[in-house]
Amino acid sequence: MSGERGFTGEMHRYLDGEPISLDGDVRSEAEHIVNGVRDYAVSLQVPGPEVDAAVMAVVRERRASGRRRAFWRWFVEPQAVRLRPALAAALVAAVVGLTLVVARDDAGQPPEVAGTELVEPRTVLVRFEFRAPHAEQVAVAGSFSEWDESGIPLTLNPATGLWTVTLPLTPGAHQYLFVIDGNQWVPDPAAHAQVDDGFGQVNSVIVVGPRGVVRS
Amino acid sequence: MGCGADCVTAGPSARPLPLASSYGLPGERMSVPDGVLVERVLAGDVEQYGVLVERYRAEFARYAASLCGDRDTAADAMQEAFIRAFDSLSTCRDPGRFKAWFFRILTNQCHNARDRQRPRVSLERVAGLAAETRDPVEGAEIRRAIEEALDALTPEQREAFVLKHVEGRSYAEMAELLDKSEDALKMRVHRARETLRRLLEPVR
Repeated sequence: MSGERGFTGEMHRYLDGEPISLDGDVRSEAEHIVNGVRDYAVSLQVPGPEVDAAVMAVVRERRASGRRRAFWRWFVEPQAVRLRPALAAALVAAVVGLTLVVARDDAGQPPEVAGTELVEPRTVLVRFEFRAPHAEQVAVAGSFSEWDESGIPLTLNPATGLWTVTLPLTPGAHQYLFVIDGNQWVPDPAAHAQVDDGFGQVNSVIVVGPRGVVRS
Repeated sequence: MGCGADCVTAGPSARPLPLASSYGLPGERMSVPDGVLVERVLAGDVEQYGVLVERYRAEFARYAASLCGDRDTAADAMQEAFIRAFDSLSTCRDPGRFKAWFFRILTNQCHNARDRQRPRVSLERVAGLAAETRDPVEGAEIRRAIEEALDALTPEQREAFVLKHVEGRSYAEMAELLDKSEDALKMRVHRARETLRRLLEPVR
């Protein structure tokens, strides 16, 4: 043990990569701590391609919702329209004629308005976790994937036995189950709520808030 | 993101779609410069973003894991960083320097993720833990001592140390990524080494 002794300037320059020649003992002393920490860091598992898939799922959803917003913005905002007078007159005549026909068919009936709910299609990244170190494969299926039987695959961290996947979900309540090895449907033991599925089993429930990552 | 009247209902879209790498020759895709890819994404071809994601997830995965301390936290931080970068891509003033721009976003996300994940430890506790783990067979304890010694570094010291000694980058590369002078970065690395040595010396 070296007490309060620190690295010498030469040791630092050597570790910085400068062409400094150190005696064997001094060199190993300089390298010992640095190499130990580096070996530890290099031994850590690193994120893999599952990150790419999760990111691109969100990016594609953002693009789709952006297009819908852009269309709606175009639709409701004032637009400059260039029209030939002759075509304008023809359009007016057509609209008047159509109005008269509709008025004759639906006299006294108020027009119906479609009840489309206009909601922000924002999504929140939700991380699903399931510990099953001996499973061959784990997937999650739920109301957000229309209960597709094959489910959305989770990725195993062999060191922890934890299967995970991060999905973009819209705010609100979602029901889901994990699918183990393709045939065993189980609720999430860590879910904050379970509900009767109407067939004698239970589904797990996750409620996604409007901001931040919600864990199952 | 606010929700105005100009929104429509989103359909369920939870299933991950194929990666952009499914299209085109990987070699061709991966050689396209960052600036070109960023311009294509901004022009509406979001699949090109997959090339940037693949490129920098691979390059910075070790860095993120070293800052966060474990793979799962690092994966979350990387996802958040890529999505934040995508959302604010139009503010990347020099698309040719996407790498450095993204690196700063990633670094912030890693520090935030680590802060949420793990409480800061006192230096006394780290030194005490190291002193208890002289037996080399106690590998797990030594790993924990190293982990907590790394946690005792400032975020700036930790990122500089990781870039230098885990990633093996030169000070010139680090200066490019962190937008700091080489001298300032050397000082951070030196201080990180001194702190690690002081805390881990009893393990020897």
